Amino acid sequence: MTSATSSTSTETAPKGGRLNGGATRAAVGKVGYGLFGALLVVVLWFLIAVTGVVGNGLVPRPDEVAVAMWQRFAHSGLLFDLRVSVTRVLIGVAVGCLIALPVGFLLAWYPRIRAVFEPLVNFFRALPPIALIPLVIVYFGIGELARISILVYASFFAAVVVLYEGISSLDPIYVRAARALGATSWEVFSRCVAPASVPHLFTALRVALGVSWATLVAAELIAASRGLGAVIQTAGNFFQIPDIYVGIILIGCCALVMDYLLKVIQARATKWQERTQR
Amino acid sequence: MTHENVIVFDDVVRQFKRGRDTLRVLDGCRFSIPRGEFVSVIGPSGCGKSTLLNLAAGFDQADRGRVLIEGETVRGPDARRGVVFQQYAIFPWLTVRQNIAFGLTLRASRRSKESREKVTEQYIDLMGLRGFEDSYPKELSGGMRQRVAIARAYATDPHVLLMDEPFAALDAQTREQMQELLHEIQLRERRSVMFITHSVEEAIFLSHRVVVLTNRPTRVREIVEIPIPMPRQADTRLTSEFVELRRHLEHLLREEATNTRRVA
Repeated sequence: MTSATSSTSTETAPKGGRLNGGATRAAVGKVGYGLFGALLVVVLWFLIAVTGVVGNGLVPRPDEVAVAMWQRFAHSGLLFDLRVSVTRVLIGVAVGCLIALPVGFLLAWYPRIRAVFEPLVNFFRALPPIALIPLVIVYFGIGELARISILVYASFFAAVVVLYEGISSLDPIYVRAARALGATSWEVFSRCVAPASVPHLFTALRVALGVSWATLVAAELIAASRGLGAVIQTAGNFFQIPDIYVGIILIGCCALVMDYLLKVIQARATKWQERTQR
Repeated sequence: MTHENVIVFDDVVRQFKRGRDTLRVLDGCRFSIPRGEFVSVIGPSGCGKSTLLNLAAGFDQADRGRVLIEGETVRGPDARRGVVFQQYAIFPWLTVRQNIAFGLTLRASRRSKESREKVTEQYIDLMGLRGFEDSYPKELSGGMRQRVAIARAYATDPHVLLMDEPFAALDAQTREQMQELLHEIQLRERRSVMFITHSVEEAIFLSHRVVVLTNRPTRVREIVEIPIPMPRQADTRLTSEFVELRRHLEHLLREEATNTRRVA
């Protein structure tokens, strides 16, 4: 009971330690639930494959896909494909977000710049990267540059919107408070706007990662011989259905793992943030 | 040169555009706050109390008239005026200690590391925040957050403190504790304070004098001296003198709340 004492310094406040312990337990529990969800899907998939109710009997069983995955890892350098794709996505997201960061600040901070560029951003954001592939081939050829520029494009436009919406949602009271304490414009930016934007940067990174993985196959359509997108393409061309599944599952898993890692880093970097727990 | 009156509102007019109309909020406000005095401003809801404070803080500019602080016209916010907001406005990404030290670490403050640390630790103790100095604001109750905000404002040693209903969001009990704490600090530090509130009791308890504003368009209705000697204690609130002042001020407020003036 905390209400028994009466001096001014005894107001109750949640204990940090207990809160964090609970959060960790909740996170572990969440992973457990997630695995359970995955198991459900695998079981359902197995039933569909065995009974053949959909897909004209062309749905491979999960164990067939697992064997195909093993074979590919062992004999046809799937690990290399995986690495190539991960590298492309990482470069695309890094470059895209690096450009999106200053642009996001500019759009959030200067209403006039925002008025000029916001419609353009929304215009380009709406274009599916696949639609741009012919143009990319014309201007950048069919090399690595072409593939990565598609990913940069996709992650830039995904990130920039999250960033400027987030940054412009900063409560102006903090800017006022900093100014009243004597902060210069630069100090308002570096000591208030920047730290307050860190959570939005993480959200932007996560959105950009998601979009980039989704765009990967499109990017690797551009005459790529390696990469998970290329694996799916070739498997499709040769009607190796289990191999198509292998590519799709690996892309999903990579996206999942990266998102999870980012979430963990984010939780550590923004310990100060209030989160609604449900 | 010492200025007898640290804050001067000289015939201040402020109006806002609202659609096609202009809404005149302040209509020639005129009062001043002497050095070292704690002055509260009360008035009916929406009469422009916070507008007055924003003008004094430099967040806003008067359409006519002048706001002088230590003889200088206010042109924008700066570190000579500390502001405490109703919504606390302490930085959620900084710990209690970092929040209190914020103003001291800005370029404008020019302090050595030692003096910075000394002042910060002193205010952590003074505000009863010891044990919470490394906590983030999300871990604090409303009363503690406001203590951090007050400490942050005092730490930069401003000549003038402007407080905009700082205790309005607190529960009644915490609120009284905070009033007593602020009173103690005021007796110790003798700053010039402009304190906006809608609580008559709070105004009387803390102040040397209380400025009562009229309804919109707002002028000064009356300036009431509070002759109750300081230091004041919790039971000061129960004395007949206190109750009498309270009756008078509440009467003025009620009259103003029902009285809509016309623009001349």
